[in-house]
Amino acid sequence: MTADPQRGLPADLDRSIARLLTFGTYVSVALLGVGAVLMFARRIAPLAGGPPFQPELVLDDVVHLRAAGFMWLGLLAAIATPAARVAAALVGFLRRGERTMAIVAVLILAVISLSVVLAQGLGA
Amino acid sequence: MIDGLILIVGGMAAGLFGSLLGLGGGLLIVPLLTLVFNLPLLTAVGVSLVCVIVTSGASAGVYLERRVANLRLGMVLELFTAVGALAGGLAAFILPENVLELLFAALLVYVAVTMLRGRDPEPEVGEAESDAMAADIAADNSFRASLSGPGYRVRHLGFGAVGSVVAGVTSALLGIGGGLVKVPVMHVVMGVPLRVATATSNLMIGITASASAIIYLLRGGIDPYVASPTAVGVFFGASLGSRIAHRIDVKILRGLFVAILLYTSWQMLQRAFA
Repeated sequence: MTADPQRGLPADLDRSIARLLTFGTYVSVALLGVGAVLMFARRIAPLAGGPPFQPELVLDDVVHLRAAGFMWLGLLAAIATPAARVAAALVGFLRRGERTMAIVAVLILAVISLSVVLAQGLGA
Repeated sequence: MIDGLILIVGGMAAGLFGSLLGLGGGLLIVPLLTLVFNLPLLTAVGVSLVCVIVTSGASAGVYLERRVANLRLGMVLELFTAVGALAGGLAAFILPENVLELLFAALLVYVAVTMLRGRDPEPEVGEAESDAMAADIAADNSFRASLSGPGYRVRHLGFGAVGSVVAGVTSALLGIGGGLVKVPVMHVVMGVPLRVATATSNLMIGITASASAIIYLLRGGIDPYVASPTAVGVFFGASLGSRIAHRIDVKILRGLFVAILLYTSWQMLQRAFA
């Protein structure tokens, strides 16, 4: 494992997180792109107002090649990618026994979880 | 169909401009959606946050791979930007729309003035000074020292935390990445070199924007039909911008951009008082 000459942080961790970010971004853009193509193909007016977010319908929409399904999946992938990056860093810091940074990562994930809980609690 | 194409092309233009001038696409997406398409500001901010996440993801990956971004410092500060974004995301649904429009107009004027004044040159650290500092940091086992990097020592972490909260609130209210606050705080206050501050800010944008994007998503503030073509356009515009940036005379572009910002600010003010 290559170490960071300054801080002893393994270069592998930076690299893994970089690849995760790039992969997540490309996947989300691809899904959003497919959704946009389906929207054009089905002559849906983008300014007519999209359907509300209903998690239970997303997979069904994807299976039936509906634009909204791919769009919601792409949006979820985009929003989840940074949190996945923090989770990957958490694993990396735990493996290295860096408790303070691991706690920081846990706290970030806790704030993200709190935003889900608060938004759901307040309703649309 | 035409509206969808305009969203893609508009997104591309915002991504291209933002990338060439190092501002990110968010600053132009909100005016595009509100002033051109007459969408509510909250919807525009929700869409802009998604665009900001998508554009920052790819570039943050590159910065990390090249080891320019400081992962540890970024994670410590993004804890505070996430808290600010959470608060800002909740406040955005309470504040009247014209207040947000006024804030956005003020932000545009601030950016225009900052661009007119130009950036201060980065102070150079001599080689001997850099070596001494590296040895000093290596000998220091404090948490703050563990956040420092090659040739610089992080200082005023408390100010950095406060600045990060402000960046998070601004991002969530106005749909921008928050780099306008984070980069100066890291560079001027915390002593982080500009290149590292910019890369680290870019890394932090993802968590900052996603903390509030979740609130927008679950409270019906993101329209998928608008967000998808716009985000795809911004992504490709930003990618193109990063490839051609070295061939473009940024001085002319900067002047044009300042004019656009001031005009947009005026339009936003008129909308706020309408």
